[in-house]
Amino acid sequence: MPQDTPIVLVVDDDPSVREGLDSLFRSVGYQVACFGSVREFTLFRRPDHPSCLVLDVRMPGPSGMDFQAELAAIRDPTPIVFLTGHGDVPMAVRALKAGAIEFLLKPFREQDLLDAVRKAIDTDIARRRSEAALAGLRARFVSLSAREKEVMALVVQGRLNKQIAADLSLSEVTVKVHRGQVMRKMEAATLADLIRLADQLSGREGGRNPSRC
Amino acid sequence: MRLDRERFRIERPWLGLGLVVSMAVIFVADTVTNLEIAVAVLYVAVILISVRFDQPMMVLGTGAASTALTLISYGLTPRGAPEAGIANSALSIVAIGATTYLALRIEAAEARVRQARSELAHMSRVTMMGELTASIAHEVSQPLAGIVASGSAAMRWLAATPPNPAEARRAIERVVADADRAGDVIGRVRRLVAKAPPSRERIDIVDLIEEVLALTRSEIRQNRVVLRTDFANDLPRPIGDRVQLQQVILNLIVNAAEIMGGLETGPRDLLIGAAAGGGQIRVSVRDTGISLAPAAIERVFEAFHSTKPGGMGMGLAISRSIVEAHGGTIYAAVNHPRGMVFGFTLPLDS
Repeated sequence: MPQDTPIVLVVDDDPSVREGLDSLFRSVGYQVACFGSVREFTLFRRPDHPSCLVLDVRMPGPSGMDFQAELAAIRDPTPIVFLTGHGDVPMAVRALKAGAIEFLLKPFREQDLLDAVRKAIDTDIARRRSEAALAGLRARFVSLSAREKEVMALVVQGRLNKQIAADLSLSEVTVKVHRGQVMRKMEAATLADLIRLADQLSGREGGRNPSRC
Repeated sequence: MRLDRERFRIERPWLGLGLVVSMAVIFVADTVTNLEIAVAVLYVAVILISVRFDQPMMVLGTGAASTALTLISYGLTPRGAPEAGIANSALSIVAIGATTYLALRIEAAEARVRQARSELAHMSRVTMMGELTASIAHEVSQPLAGIVASGSAAMRWLAATPPNPAEARRAIERVVADADRAGDVIGRVRRLVAKAPPSRERIDIVDLIEEVLALTRSEIRQNRVVLRTDFANDLPRPIGDRVQLQQVILNLIVNAAEIMGGLETGPRDLLIGAAAGGGQIRVSVRDTGISLAPAAIERVFEAFHSTKPGGMGMGLAISRSIVEAHGGTIYAAVNHPRGMVFGFTLPLDS
């Protein structure tokens, strides 16, 4: 299988459900890893692939809901699809509010489950992509010299070259050179681009990144 | 309850005959003794006994008959002072009237108690069925989920290019195994709720406990209880009603699981034991939930005495009547270091 084949991580204490899910997900082309309990899962070294969790709610030891909270506490972003034999509305609301992709009752419809898993995997792929983009952006920002960073900070605040030159006690020509370097190193074509990149770096990307909508 | 009613029906002819004979004896005694002796007051006893017929008309009839016999007796008695006789008869009739009134009140109160008790027994069965239904739904939904997953996987393996018949075959085998498993659950439920009259058969107690455990598995799991069993080998088989005894065990297990499910901290261990000795078989359900105070333990088998929030306090009361109908005893004790032990014994015939 190719290295970046998405992997579905199944945690369910019922062996026949586990085997059925394993076969089903493999038949649609995913890689699958199955675990009988949360404890078993935590011993597993996860490969760095796009992935999602298919969690049973009630299991011996920590429940699926407990595990969701644990993952949130360590900021593990793996998307979760819950499967449960006896769920109620408050439970489903709690799981979805805590960020679960879907909350399905057993017995589920095959298509509902596959749709939920596809959605979860897509979420993970998008997250990984934007994280990779952010990492690249950070690398580019780090390559700026101290002076260029200063100039960039003032540029994105909307200061004019003349004002920046006064702020930093530089000649306007020098500011123009630094500014050109910033645009080139940050791979920004326009001032608007640069402002967007600066926002992303400061973690304010949420509302401004159209590719996420 | 039902057993009580049946015993009554059998006793009634004797009860009726007893009443008639008593009244006749009192009548004769009242007639042959002097008017000064108020033998007729003894009709009061007959009226009180007539309450046992559970019918207001019977009480009323006995009161009226007693009054009539007192008057006839007055007319027939040959000896004694008539004035004293009138006073005595009047006193007797007042006593008979008052007693009849009280007996009617007692009868009405008993009728209300009987009705309330049978309603509660019904409600408790309904609640138990509700709990059981949730449990069964879960037990069936597991294999069904397996069937859905394996079945659709099989179709996909066959539709793939090239098809993968080996994978498809394995998936279909799992479908069959899961369907069998769902069938087993239904079979167990059928046996549990079968509308059979109380039966008397040799019971394999371990078998019986394991059937209950299979049905309460999700209850146990839901409350995240760790289950252990300790069954002696080759246990003798007591005689009893399978379904009723299962209800008792079900009740003890569900109680223990629910109590431990509410714990904030500490282990949730459930130990179910079965052993024989001293001419009896002993089943125990030991939990590490909350220990009850001695005063609470004394009352725990009483009806309406619940230690559970929302409990009706009928489960253990019904369990006790079932165990006692089997000639056994049900008991509760504190478990160390925490929790409770509930259990019962059943006698073994030699």
